[in-house]
Amino acid sequence: MRDVSFSYDKDKNLDNINVDIREGEVILLCGESGCGKTTITRFLNGLIPNFFDGKRQGNVYLNDELISEMPIYEISKNVGSVFQNPKTQFFNVDTTSEVVFGCENLSMPIDDIQNRLDNVVDDFQISHLLDKSIFKLSGGEKQKIACASVSAVHPDILILDEPSSNLDSRSSWDFENIIRKWKSQGKTVVIAEHKLFFLSDVVDRVLFLNNGRITDEWSIEEFRQINHREFGLRQLNLENLTCKRKEYYSDSPEFMELKNFRFHYGKRQVLDIDDVKIPKNEVIAIIGKNGAGKSTFANCLCGLKRSCKGQLIWDNDALKRNDRLKKTYMVMQDVNHQLFTESVLDEVLLSMDDENFELAEEILTNLNLIHLKDAHPMALSGGEKQRVAIASAIASEKEILIFDEPTSGLDLKNMMKVSENLIYLQKLGITSFIITHDYELIMEACSHVLHMDDGRIVDSYKINEEKLKKFFLNSN
Amino acid sequence: MGLGLNFTLDPKTKIIILAILSFMVFNDVSLYISGILVLIPFICLFFSNHKKSAIIYIIAYIAAKYVQIYILPTATGLLAIILITFSYTASRMLPIIMMGYYTITTTKVSEFIASMEKSNIPKDIIIPVSVVFRYIPSVFEEIKLITNAMKMRGFGLNIKSLKNPLKLIEFYMIPILISAVKTADELSAASLTRGLSNPEKRTHLLEVKFTRMDYVLLALTIIGFGIYAFNFLRGVAIA
Repeated sequence: MRDVSFSYDKDKNLDNINVDIREGEVILLCGESGCGKTTITRFLNGLIPNFFDGKRQGNVYLNDELISEMPIYEISKNVGSVFQNPKTQFFNVDTTSEVVFGCENLSMPIDDIQNRLDNVVDDFQISHLLDKSIFKLSGGEKQKIACASVSAVHPDILILDEPSSNLDSRSSWDFENIIRKWKSQGKTVVIAEHKLFFLSDVVDRVLFLNNGRITDEWSIEEFRQINHREFGLRQLNLENLTCKRKEYYSDSPEFMELKNFRFHYGKRQVLDIDDVKIPKNEVIAIIGKNGAGKSTFANCLCGLKRSCKGQLIWDNDALKRNDRLKKTYMVMQDVNHQLFTESVLDEVLLSMDDENFELAEEILTNLNLIHLKDAHPMALSGGEKQRVAIASAIASEKEILIFDEPTSGLDLKNMMKVSENLIYLQKLGITSFIITHDYELIMEACSHVLHMDDGRIVDSYKINEEKLKKFFLNSN
Repeated sequence: MGLGLNFTLDPKTKIIILAILSFMVFNDVSLYISGILVLIPFICLFFSNHKKSAIIYIIAYIAAKYVQIYILPTATGLLAIILITFSYTASRMLPIIMMGYYTITTTKVSEFIASMEKSNIPKDIIIPVSVVFRYIPSVFEEIKLITNAMKMRGFGLNIKSLKNPLKLIEFYMIPILISAVKTADELSAASLTRGLSNPEKRTHLLEVKFTRMDYVLLALTIIGFGIYAFNFLRGVAIA
């Protein structure tokens, strides 16, 4: 890249970028949200200027050819891209068609495609995933299919834009293996990513971006030495983290009790909890592999599943489904699904039985949203939307809040804000459950851990570094 | 799978049948023709791993027709109004809904593109339509999530929400539209990086061919339509 500058509209998004990427290198682009990582990847895969356009300066070359002069389908023969959101990068609904999609688009002969399909299935060990609906796959499986389908075209360069946001730690390590495979085949890999821990042994060079400029460049050895927090980065080595909370928030926590939480999908039992006691008014992490039943558990706890007959014993009351629906609130992974009104203030008022403006404004002030009270919720940033959802939960006097992966795809700064919110909720007397794969977040804020596997709670303990490390770090 | 009786249809057949069915049910068609036509979605569903939906569908349809023919003439008052609404909506809408359900659940996006390209329909039409095809199943997922979100805010099937049904529709539409725009954007970007805009003709790993079943069902539909059209024209001529 030579003297590249770019702006989508008014603000400069990239400012005078000069990079040479050598063949066979694995490059990590890192920096805070909005630093320009994604914009660089878009230059490399031709989405700028073919799909997004703005004011461009400078040139990007691929083997001495100007990328901006090439039609995008020519670029796609050499450059493969994997994106953040597995839901929206699949054109097909079934996996097999998806894997060969790129090859078909490039009009390769059918025998050739069949060969490539067989090879790629072997390489990625995905034969058990073929001929399935993509809606039935877990996040990790979806990303594997995405990688396989990009690989099938045999590109020399791979561009990955936050590919691990939705992956658990196990799948992240699997992802490392995929990158390793590409590296061993001599391919060039460029990764833009917040989550770093699984990349420590596979990356060659790290570029740090700040406000659209490359301000630092490290070899991986140098990168291991720096203080990541100072640069606003997530940890590279999770071993370095210690938990902030050693004890429960309350001195002698009271307990709630869950009884007989069971749920079936058809004949398959996906949730099977007999009896478990959980401390009240704490920040509770729910951990477990993709597909361990964490989301089903959350849905049942909220009272969203009619056929789950479990009871929540709370202050000597046995709460059935409808009672729990009134007491609990879930902050969904995609917050867009739960913001309905035209302004932030309305959103909070909607949750109140009797509209109380003063109380609503007080809640917004405490969550640092008051300056946005007339803004449209959909126009806010991801973190702000999440806070609006929290505000509406507080307004409706919910006592249990459940967060579904609140920090997926967040940089350090935003992750810290989430953790501050959790601590604030604890002070208000609210019990929070957090479904998460984010070790760093657990270390920051959580005081109790529920470990799920195969629909059961296999362990429930006060925060304990040893046990957590065993789960998060030993997965490879 | 199953007994080996299952068959797949060419996407073109499905769409033509769907179109003819939609046209016919909104006109009054004599029972013996519609009787055959309602069987088509049943057959399609029954022989494609949707046996349960097929059986529920046929029972619901027969019940609706039975009510129409035998009970309605004797019913009066409010009961009659309710029965009329239910039985007529069911008998007219069910066949299309089930055929639509069949078309969407059994057609792979790649089959659809292959079949359309074979008929030399331009890419500019195929691609947007196939994106819609791809998007429909996601809409159902989203509706489920939004319903959950509303329940947690106290908007279930209760008085609070029934007081203001228009608001309820708005609450559904806004998140769906927002995510539709986002999905369309990301999906187009992803497919562009995978060479979808290549002007050369695509190749297809999955061969899509007309089979005997295609011809049989198409013939059945077209004959049904033919008889109907003939009767219709004759009716006009006599009048």
